[in-house]
Amino acid sequence: MALPLPPGLTPPETAFMCEMEMVTIIPRQRLEGLELLGGPIPPLNPPYRTALPLWLALLLKRQRRANILPPPWLSPPSLLSILDIEKSTPSFSPPPPLSPHTTTSPPFLPSATSNAPPDALPYHWLELGEMLLEAASDDIAEPDNVRRVMRDLREVRMAKMRAGVGVLEGGREVNMNGVGGMEVAEGRTFIGGVVDGLRKIGASKEMSRREREAEERENGIGGGEEDEDDMDI
Amino acid sequence: MDIDDILAEVDVHAVPRQTQDLQEFTRAWVTERNAPEILPWPDALMQRILERIRRQIELVEEQTGNTDPKANFRLIIFQTELERFKFLVRSFLRARVAKIDAHALHHLTDPSTKARLSPSELQYATTHTTLLHAHYRSSFLSQFPASLQRMDDTAGGMSMVEGPDVDRAVFVRALKDVEEPVYVEGTDMAFEMRKGDVVVMRWSAVREVVIAGDAELI
Repeated sequence: MALPLPPGLTPPETAFMCEMEMVTIIPRQRLEGLELLGGPIPPLNPPYRTALPLWLALLLKRQRRANILPPPWLSPPSLLSILDIEKSTPSFSPPPPLSPHTTTSPPFLPSATSNAPPDALPYHWLELGEMLLEAASDDIAEPDNVRRVMRDLREVRMAKMRAGVGVLEGGREVNMNGVGGMEVAEGRTFIGGVVDGLRKIGASKEMSRREREAEERENGIGGGEEDEDDMDI
Repeated sequence: MDIDDILAEVDVHAVPRQTQDLQEFTRAWVTERNAPEILPWPDALMQRILERIRRQIELVEEQTGNTDPKANFRLIIFQTELERFKFLVRSFLRARVAKIDAHALHHLTDPSTKARLSPSELQYATTHTTLLHAHYRSSFLSQFPASLQRMDDTAGGMSMVEGPDVDRAVFVRALKDVEEPVYVEGTDMAFEMRKGDVVVMRWSAVREVVIAGDAELI
């Protein structure tokens, strides 16, 4: 009964989460509004655009009841300019700007609708792009080009993930701004394992430091000086 | 503040209750799947979600047998969503059960951890431990000298009861600018978190920030 999976979202679970992203569709059939568990769905009236969760958009698309309007970043010119940014910095390209008023986070940000920013990769870029290319390639302009640039982007970013492991040795916190959901899912075991392994190597040093600090707190500053004198002798 | 900000603020308040619950529960699920420790049981949220699922199942049952193709397609949508919700709830509960199974005695003896369990989880942990105890006793513990029969010995300053590794590395994303820098005990590491930052950190250092809702695990 207990979950047999290791801690941390696995790639299929990340894809499941990605299916909650909102995408814009152009309905081809009428559908009345529905009261779903995750909130109401507005009525679909062709040819008016509506934003729907990806899982529902894919369901409609597969049954030819709607077309999906791909997000602006999923087009060759946008992806190419992002690729240029990726190649020019050692960190990931900056994620889409966040609204200062909400603490909503992916997959509930409007980062895959038709009015998403065209110049930044959202958190679920890889999964979302793959799913749209698989199910709705006829709605995407130049799907083969998109697929090619996506692969380039993925390789550049994977190389950065691997290069980033060098930073881990310092035992510092690791900054990964702009990382994607699938990239986290793939790299989690390795990065987590390295961080944990390094921590265990440094554990005894850390323990003695903790004890010394606790002692210093007890003895006050004078106590610390005494310690130093002892060491001189 | 320009017009976009005002619109954004209005949008937040316009988010329906159901959608807010879905967002909250998805976050709880991700946190539970990532964190080494069990987290507080979200009682009210869980009750709302289970009640909605129950009503939706009734609705689907009522409508099955309706042969109108339109109603039929509506039913497919309802059922697809229902399955997604059921998956979330099940995965959430099973992740918690996995943690209880791994350190059952710890969950029963440590008061702060014990308070985070739901009534049925508590009952499960208790029964589980009792059964295991009885089994150990009948198969080998009774053969040991009385002083070695305990399962929760603390002799020698070391407790036998093992808890989860709270220092395990997790991926964290800041949801707000965190005012106070986060300190890592035992090292001279301290770092600030700005909204949207993603860092890999040990869970014990960010636990408070995550539980306060200023950051989330990913």
